[in-house]
Amino acid sequence: MSWLVSPKGKRYTVAQMRWVTNHEEPLVRTVAVSRIYRRGVDEIRALDRVSLEIPAGHFVAFMGPSGSGKSTLMNLLAGLDRPSSGEVWVAGQRLDILDEDELAAWRARHVGLIFQFFNLIPVLSARDNVALPLLLTHLDKRERSRRADIALRIVGLQDRASHYPRALSGGEQQRVAIARALVTDPDLIVADEPTGDLDARNAETILSLLRRLRSDFGKTIIMVTHDPRALRFVDMAFHLDKGTLLEGEEAARAHEAIVVAASGGVVGHVLP
Amino acid sequence: MNYLKLVFANLMRNKLRTGMTFGAVSLAVMLVVFLLTMPAGLDALLNSVASNTRVSVHNKAGIVYSLPYSYVRKVRLVEGVAGAVGTTWFGGAYEEEGRVTFPNFAVEAEHVGAVYPDYGIASQHLEDFRRYRDGALVGRQTMKRYGWKVGDRITLKSTAWAIDLDLRIVGEIPLERSPVVWIQRSYLDEALVAQRGQGLGIVHVIWVRLEDPNRVEEVMRTIDDMFRNSEAETASETEKSFFGNFFGSLKGFITIVLLVTFLVAACVLVIAANTASMAIRERSSEIAVLKAVGFPRRVVFASLLAESALLCTSAGVAGVALAYVFTHGLRSFAAVIPSLGPLGSFLITPAVAAQGLLLSVVVGAVSGLVPAWGAARKPVAEAFHELF
Ligand SMILES: Nc1ncnc2c1ncn2[C@@H]1O[C@H](COP(=O)(O)OP(=O)(O)OP(=O)(O)O)[C@@H](O)[C@H]1O
Ligand SMILES: [Mg+2]
Repeated sequence: MSWLVSPKGKRYTVAQMRWVTNHEEPLVRTVAVSRIYRRGVDEIRALDRVSLEIPAGHFVAFMGPSGSGKSTLMNLLAGLDRPSSGEVWVAGQRLDILDEDELAAWRARHVGLIFQFFNLIPVLSARDNVALPLLLTHLDKRERSRRADIALRIVGLQDRASHYPRALSGGEQQRVAIARALVTDPDLIVADEPTGDLDARNAETILSLLRRLRSDFGKTIIMVTHDPRALRFVDMAFHLDKGTLLEGEEAARAHEAIVVAASGGVVGHVLP
Repeated sequence: MNYLKLVFANLMRNKLRTGMTFGAVSLAVMLVVFLLTMPAGLDALLNSVASNTRVSVHNKAGIVYSLPYSYVRKVRLVEGVAGAVGTTWFGGAYEEEGRVTFPNFAVEAEHVGAVYPDYGIASQHLEDFRRYRDGALVGRQTMKRYGWKVGDRITLKSTAWAIDLDLRIVGEIPLERSPVVWIQRSYLDEALVAQRGQGLGIVHVIWVRLEDPNRVEEVMRTIDDMFRNSEAETASETEKSFFGNFFGSLKGFITIVLLVTFLVAACVLVIAANTASMAIRERSSEIAVLKAVGFPRRVVFASLLAESALLCTSAGVAGVALAYVFTHGLRSFAAVIPSLGPLGSFLITPAVAAQGLLLSVVVGAVSGLVPAWGAARKPVAEAFHELF
């Protein structure tokens, strides 16, 4: 487990990692965040005073209809965007006060990103794609490819390290993307519809892989998804509608509706 | 995996496009470098035909106005003058052509040797030129053009006087590119006396060879001062400046050459800018991912700019190399084929090569600047919203 070295240079064992991330402070906390997009005179209120907390080491899902603000919220938590008002705290850092360059530096150290369309660089091998975020660290070339190989082993693609993305299936490409999100040992991994472009079997593989990152490595994972099957893998689900976070009765109803839609008699998980 | 590899991999993404841009930039740089050799090349050409100790003395009003023949003797007596020959435009046309197809002058046969020792005219030919009053010395270019040999007889009809002269070719002026024909002044003089009872009496240009290349200015001034306020004032100038004025349009030509050079440079800038913006636009999503992962804007900007800079600069190196090969090729051809002679003068100096490289660096930087800046500046979240 020696690869679990944070960019700050601290070494943790998995057990210590759990301890570090399981302190009382939630890893993610928002206080009344709103995000308003302005298009000329039009205003789109994509998020309206959302407050939530996500404990460290949890795998959570953001669910809701299209346009409900899931991606917008996830972007704020990943430091990809800044709120119009409210506070965003992740791993003890307040993000809403950082500028674009500070956010980029923060993301490089603390967040791993996974997208719906994999978004690998086609002209780089799987190993080089995975090693890409390590270019931003002080690690030397050998250490960078060593860590990329470890990350590829975790996602089960150690044999495909020198393959290019076009030679890989969609599911394999997404696993390479997960390895890329993992390689910097981030505090938080965010995934926007990671199974959206995959068939059922590949989707299962990806979901159980993410689950394993949480259980084996204590990672905190936030996943935006439409997929009811995802509920089997996550610790909790947040339900959004028209930019607001559903709570209590409303949330339970939304959750129930999704579970029924899954129609597989899936056992519901803890609700927020 | 490092930045250089990333930049290189991106360049190799569309090999055809990269190759075509490489070709366009290197050909343009080659052309620019070649054009830039022209001003210096023409100067060198002038130097190769002109001697720095030879001076022309002609009427201050212009070379078509004549000087009294007595001036030649006076010039010959000036201190520092090694030799002087008076030349008079005969304007002879060969056979039925009716127009002058090569320059021909009446000269004093006994003085050409002293003024043109650098021409390497065989002493036998010079001696025969003095001996035969109808003798003529012919430049090698004209010899070849008409297939003449020493001993041939030709007739020139003057366009300046109503006189035909039957001539005997007694020798050659052994310069590859010399078209000149010299005839004896005394022969023309006699013909004029016979026709109108009055000799030639004038010269157009007095060619003077000086003893000391360091005293050229001084001797020229002495000569011009000597004829100041006389019936015909003189203007002296070095052979190089004389030919330079003669090719007065040369300056205009060089201006056009430089203008074309500038247009070629502007053209290739547009081509390279087009490539850079296409290459960047088609992978906006990858660039967005790089930024999302945490690459700072300046790193994204620098790596995109590095792409066009690397492409254009390497093409620039290739272009300069091509121009080098090209001019050297011309030079070796010119050594074998005399009519290509002038082309051998265009040589790439380090300064010209540096200008070519500078052009490619500037093209690389400027062409990538706008698209790279645009891509780097765009906020990540906005890019994602637009793209996905
Ligand atoms: N950069 C942007 N500029 C303008 N409007 C935006 C921008 N990003 C999101 N929006 C708008 O904000 C609202 C919420 O968008 P968001 O992408 O968060 O929805 P979502 O829940 O992720 O939907 P989906 O399930 O379709 O991905 C939508 O109306 C969207 O059009
Ligand atoms: Mg979305």
